Amino acid sequence: MRRLPVYLLLDTSGSMRGERIEAVKNGLEVLVSRLRQDPYALESVWISIITFDREVKQLLPLTALEALQLPEIVTPESGPTNLGAALNILAQRLDMEVSKSTAERKGDWRPLLFVMTDGKPSDLADYRAAIPLIRRKGLASIVACAAGAEAKDEYLKELTDNVVHLDTADSTTLLSFFKWVSDTIGVGNQSVGATDNLVLPPPPEEVHVVI
Amino acid sequence: MTRTVTLTANDGSQVQYVDTGAPMQGGMKDVYFSPDKTYVVAFFRDKFKPAEYTAQKDRLTTITNTYRERIFNQAGGDYWKDLFCWPTKVVEYNGLIGVVAPVYQSKFFFKYGYNPAGAAIASIVGKEKEGKWFAAAQFRNHNFKLHLDDRELGDWFKFILVCIRIARAVRRMHAAGLAHSDLSYKNVLVDPVSGSASIIDIDGLVVPGKFPPDVIGTPDFIAPEVMATKHLPKEDPARKLPSISTDRHALAVMVYMYLLYRHPLRGGKVNDLDAERDEVLSMGEKALFIEHPTDTSNRPRLDQVKPTHLPWADVNKLPYTLCGPHLKALFDKAFINGLHHPAERPTADDWESALLKTVDSLQPCQNPQCAQKWFVFDNSTQPVCPFCGTRYKGQLPILNFYWARKPGAYVPENHRLMVYHNQYLYQWHVNRNITPNERLTDAQKKPVGYFVQHQGNWVLVNQAMPDLKDVTADAAIPIGQMVVLKDNQQLLLSKDEGGHLVIVQLVAN
Repeated sequence: MRRLPVYLLLDTSGSMRGERIEAVKNGLEVLVSRLRQDPYALESVWISIITFDREVKQLLPLTALEALQLPEIVTPESGPTNLGAALNILAQRLDMEVSKSTAERKGDWRPLLFVMTDGKPSDLADYRAAIPLIRRKGLASIVACAAGAEAKDEYLKELTDNVVHLDTADSTTLLSFFKWVSDTIGVGNQSVGATDNLVLPPPPEEVHVVI
Repeated sequence: MTRTVTLTANDGSQVQYVDTGAPMQGGMKDVYFSPDKTYVVAFFRDKFKPAEYTAQKDRLTTITNTYRERIFNQAGGDYWKDLFCWPTKVVEYNGLIGVVAPVYQSKFFFKYGYNPAGAAIASIVGKEKEGKWFAAAQFRNHNFKLHLDDRELGDWFKFILVCIRIARAVRRMHAAGLAHSDLSYKNVLVDPVSGSASIIDIDGLVVPGKFPPDVIGTPDFIAPEVMATKHLPKEDPARKLPSISTDRHALAVMVYMYLLYRHPLRGGKVNDLDAERDEVLSMGEKALFIEHPTDTSNRPRLDQVKPTHLPWADVNKLPYTLCGPHLKALFDKAFINGLHHPAERPTADDWESALLKTVDSLQPCQNPQCAQKWFVFDNSTQPVCPFCGTRYKGQLPILNFYWARKPGAYVPENHRLMVYHNQYLYQWHVNRNITPNERLTDAQKKPVGYFVQHQGNWVLVNQAMPDLKDVTADAAIPIGQMVVLKDNQQLLLSKDEGGHLVIVQLVAN
């Protein structure tokens, strides 16, 4: 039975402190609890959480949904948003944690990546250098979420076509985003359309998909 | 924020629902309860374009009127109320179109959900018992943290009943010329505690030549020919879309999964190094039964399966043949001969009758701890429960049914009844012209006799068989009397046309 690896890259830079990071923590709890009510997700979903600020930490190595415990997430007082460094760590983790198919053994499904930030990459050169590296990893889909007015869509669009912009990064909006993420993870189990393959479920009303 | 909306449905009746601002969300629909919670109003979330709107309205109106009447407004129609959650009316509101449907019965919602330790970290109490929960091995494996409470799992007999209900419902739809087109454990609610099942999401119904399908199905249940041609445009004559014959594939997969808790085509064979392409090939063009008798290349590899999928993933320990000869023959037709030849697939009617015969071959396991509690008699003289390995001890009576093709000349029926303590004998055992299905009258549902172990003997007590006769001893057994079962004894159950003669076999252990 193939696993579906889901990587969550979360901005924990200084600007996330306070309501935003609390909303993210709450969102993660809702995400996990919703997925734990989904028999399809419980058969395949494995989750990893990587946070980035000045430092990049894989707080949760790729772990089965039923077994994982959400880690403590802390944010520094202030500091840069090293998304480039985070992508580099992600590339390493993908190599180590995702199993590839061989002629003898079925590997994992292609991983899903969700990136959430409320700013822009501070290490822009590293970020741009890391993008082709991530592209080569053959992810099934990359969804980037720009949360709040200061978040910059244009940098995220260099990484993926699926950019979701949240006008406000309050707890209700972030929660609806995480609910949407859980629907996205579950979408592979829905009926398959006769005309075309739907990749993403429609986003919640508060969210704007930036094409 | 909460308000009650009142609408007039297409049949002129008044429909109400409570809009709390947060409807339950299905794949395509938003669902609201009526104020008294006896029905739901489900709106398609997307606004259709005018042409599509008209087509949808036409389709939904036909499903709620013509097709519903075709099934429900006939003798025995009430029987189907439990097997289908059939939409009853069409409503329109603010440019959206929706249907009114009965609420699911309370038995289709989890009462305990996860085991107590699992319930501490997540809860599914009150959630719908979508079939998937009961088709996946891990939810019954105690080593899986979020396994279901044992009280939710029923036993193997109940799953046979679940399969009978599903096969019967599909048989009825097909008899009416309708294809479900998206038959899967997502669209079937299951209650193993009572052995019930109900088909939901009927608004996707396909009518050959009238309403084309708008989905190709749900992964795991899509027929190989549909999967293999899904890249072709819909208009291409080579493109295969859901139909009655693809429903038959889905039904076979469902029966297999509810009895063996594994997928019949998901084995160890790698058809492509890319996961998505491998999926399309393994479920499509290159689909291969994991238990194919000669091509063993798709056997599940035990070093690769999740430990929580055991023991069910082990096809050597629990081969599909444990389902008995009647089901084995149909699995062969569905997954060997008919996998790539849709015309050879067993019909829903075939499944229903094979499952009914299998019920008569069930034997209770003598191990009180056995999780499945029942198993199919394996036609050997030393039966062993395949699930827990417990050997049957004691005398085991079996009735072999015969019927008279011409008066006095009895031929075998290919049907036998395993006898166990307190088992009942019914009209459909007495006469081959009576089948246990929705057409039974209340009188026909009553038992006509029962079997008990009495003072060291197996006896049949006659409750309602006026003709019962021990042919071997040439003695009538009047109603209210009993007959001791003996090896090779011939018993005539009925003199009527189609009446059965049985030959008793007593297996000693």
